[in-house]
Amino acid sequence: MKALIKDILNKTNLPDVTFADVRITLTDHESIWFMNGFLRGFGNSLGSPALGIRMLVNGCWGFAGSSDLSAASIDKAVQTAISNARSGSRFMQEAVSFPSLPATQAEYHFQPKIDPFKMDKAEKLDYLQKLATAIQPQGKIVYSTVSAQFYRQEKYYANSEGSYSHCTYYNTLPQMNVLSADGNQTQSRTWPGDMSAGRAGFELFYQHDFEANTQRIIKEATDLLDAPVITEEKADIIIGGGHLALQIHESVGHATEADRIFGMEISYAGKTFVKPEMLGKFQYGSPLVNIYSDSSDPRGMGYHPLDDEGVPGRKVDIIKDGILVDQQTSRHIAHMLGLEPSSNMKGSFADDFPLVRMTNFCLAPGSGTLEELIASTEHGYLLDFTKTWSIDDNRNNFQFTTEIGYRIDDGKITGIVKEPTYFGITKDFWNACDAVCGKEDWEYYGTFHCGKGEPGQAMLLSHGTAPARFKQINVSVNI
Amino acid sequence: MNHLSYLKEQLDAQPDLQYVLSSHNWSTDFLRFYHSQTNYNISKDRFSIGVQMWRGKKSYAFAIDQPDQARIDATLAEALGIIDQLSEDPDFVDLESDLTLAAPSKVPNNIEDIPLQLKTQILQELADAARPHNFEIYGTFICNHSTSRIINSNGMDKSSTGSPIYLEVKAVHNQSQVTVLETWGGEDFSRFHLSTFKARLLDKIAHCANPVVDVDPGYYDVIFAPRCIAELAQYLAWGMSARAIDQRSSYFEGKLDTQVFPTYLSITDDPEDKDIISQDYGSDGHIYRPLKLIDKGVFKAFFCDNYYSHKTGLPKNGNTGDCLRIDAGDKSLEEMIGSVKRGLYISSLHYMNFINMKETSITGLTRDGTFLIEDGKITRVVNSLRFTDRIERIFKNILALESTANVIPFSENYDTFSISSVKAPHALVKDFNISSSTHTI
Repeated sequence: MKALIKDILNKTNLPDVTFADVRITLTDHESIWFMNGFLRGFGNSLGSPALGIRMLVNGCWGFAGSSDLSAASIDKAVQTAISNARSGSRFMQEAVSFPSLPATQAEYHFQPKIDPFKMDKAEKLDYLQKLATAIQPQGKIVYSTVSAQFYRQEKYYANSEGSYSHCTYYNTLPQMNVLSADGNQTQSRTWPGDMSAGRAGFELFYQHDFEANTQRIIKEATDLLDAPVITEEKADIIIGGGHLALQIHESVGHATEADRIFGMEISYAGKTFVKPEMLGKFQYGSPLVNIYSDSSDPRGMGYHPLDDEGVPGRKVDIIKDGILVDQQTSRHIAHMLGLEPSSNMKGSFADDFPLVRMTNFCLAPGSGTLEELIASTEHGYLLDFTKTWSIDDNRNNFQFTTEIGYRIDDGKITGIVKEPTYFGITKDFWNACDAVCGKEDWEYYGTFHCGKGEPGQAMLLSHGTAPARFKQINVSVNI
Repeated sequence: MNHLSYLKEQLDAQPDLQYVLSSHNWSTDFLRFYHSQTNYNISKDRFSIGVQMWRGKKSYAFAIDQPDQARIDATLAEALGIIDQLSEDPDFVDLESDLTLAAPSKVPNNIEDIPLQLKTQILQELADAARPHNFEIYGTFICNHSTSRIINSNGMDKSSTGSPIYLEVKAVHNQSQVTVLETWGGEDFSRFHLSTFKARLLDKIAHCANPVVDVDPGYYDVIFAPRCIAELAQYLAWGMSARAIDQRSSYFEGKLDTQVFPTYLSITDDPEDKDIISQDYGSDGHIYRPLKLIDKGVFKAFFCDNYYSHKTGLPKNGNTGDCLRIDAGDKSLEEMIGSVKRGLYISSLHYMNFINMKETSITGLTRDGTFLIEDGKITRVVNSLRFTDRIERIFKNILALESTANVIPFSENYDTFSISSVKAPHALVKDFNISSSTHTI
């Protein structure tokens, strides 16, 4: 494959091509789905090939992608990418340009503890069947699912500057869910929450302790039917790591994707309230808020030795002591902003055009444990397990609902509330952060479903965080 | 012998095996632009086949992208080795048996018919029209072409071809960032009229000359643009599926033949409407025919495929809600705006999500042009707003519908990229719950 990708790259060596890169991916995907205790879906696609060729001609990007790696298809893709760039350049105002980078070579091959594609199928299905049986409809539980998605991608990258990488990644998305009903309403509980994906194999099920939590979600979903709602206008809230990962994702991660500053995502994902002049000055959060992008950490799904335009993986501070200091960028956008490229350009598959994407986007740990944080809270709510999320196209006004809230009085959990909903403005919210838990409660969370771009791409990425507390947040919404 | 025929032969040779074979040959030509210039041009194609097979009530599925015989043989051998080890789905009864074929139709290949040069010419003309008003254009111009085939062990063998076009142009003011949106979608490009499109875009730009203001949260009478009503109807339609009934998440559970909305509201899933991007078959191959969902406010039918028909006892159909039409009413847009003392005109909705699906409670935001209406006239631009409400309540609070319905294209960005459309009029709705302000346009 190395020879093939270099051969393709040679075909792009034309006088008017100022930069070119070629990617090939081979992707395995397996999906298992139990519904109400029964196996409802089991299937896979293995070795799915994809090719992507990107060229910069006359200051304009042209791209062609295909699932066909035959010689004829490759020749056609090269010609199409060139033609697209040349034609597109007729509708241009400012040419795309960026400084060259030194050539980098990289090999990286992740090996999970339990390879989901090689493990015994009976063992895999038996484990999931036991979970599905444990949470099948009973009492007020009327619907349940257990699902697993396993993903393996082998990726080759080469560009006209001489950079080359060959990597293999494994990712797993484990989830279970129950729905309760009493005739008037439904409530739900999931485990381990919406951000349950990670760089791992089947071992992720054991790490998340699924078996020990089947009865917990049944009980909580049932109890939520009779639980009160929050009645205060404002309250102190502690957000658990699983849900805080989504808060970071939506209100900081997407907001600091610099392609949004220039309107490159207006037509679908939106723009951002962040402006270039805010860098180094804007008080994004309280001094406890330190957020960084780190594609050099192999524990997260966003790890890569090279991104999809040849920038070596690196750690970049985005918010330092509460101040916005950098952005997630492409080489082109970094050049426009006078920044170093942050190694955030990725395409989901080789036949996807690379975009500015989050990789491992993290809130740095503070100090103390979650137990200590609860104990230091006079009155408030611990919110976790995402139910609904929504944020405006400037990444400014958000509203989230979690499945459950745990009421805190005098430093102790005293009950639960259903569908706790909070809303706010990004800057105000992060400036209301008065505590971030320490390393002992810090971990990676992740998703398979970060949508961006057109044609749409779903990116797999991670967020590292510990629980954190936010003071006097709006928690009253009339529905 | 092509791959599907080869696979069919192999599967037919297996005793007691039921199966569905499908193939999908898809390509797209995709121009994305920002600040009145090309962002990138993408051409992309993909060919894949999918197999779902059953032995008794045991099922296994696989897909192969860019198949060849060696991969088919290896994957099929693995599948046949697995299927007997699996547990049963007690709700599986049989495969779809509807063999009705759609009327043949001539579908163009719009990737070939609308070359990139023509796209950039059109965009340049729009950019030149917007620029004197200090607006630049952002958006996408997409042409897809796909051919699908579905074969099953009940004798089904059906093919369909589609070639939808999607043009989305957002005009953004260089200083204020005020944004307006104009779209066109369909399969027949002769129905696209650049002069009309440009005039509508410029008409929207003209509304943006006024200052931008915030409004307080509260209940407002609003005029929803067709795009908003279309999107709300799509969300509401989720609860019209037999699957939602089975998952106990349907608002319409127990409401068949019940008056749920005002008598002037009718919604049909209509692939035969000439303006709507059509569908020949449902996901399991059943013929896709017009299905009245809401008739004069009365709920009439669920979308129901073969599997859920057996499970729920509801009658099956091929409908999936991809061809929704909300019938027009009897008011002009001017009359509707003129009737509002103080309210809002909302052009588009953004990032809408259910809070509780069964209750139809949602939250989301306005986008791409929110305007204040005072004394029957649009007077100011309003920063984007958050709403939290129930779709049930919104549709019950419709006071009037415009006498003309417009086709609104939507692109599906998860999974395989696809384009569909909804036909809807403007709607006047009372007491819409604006739950917070964003302070940004």
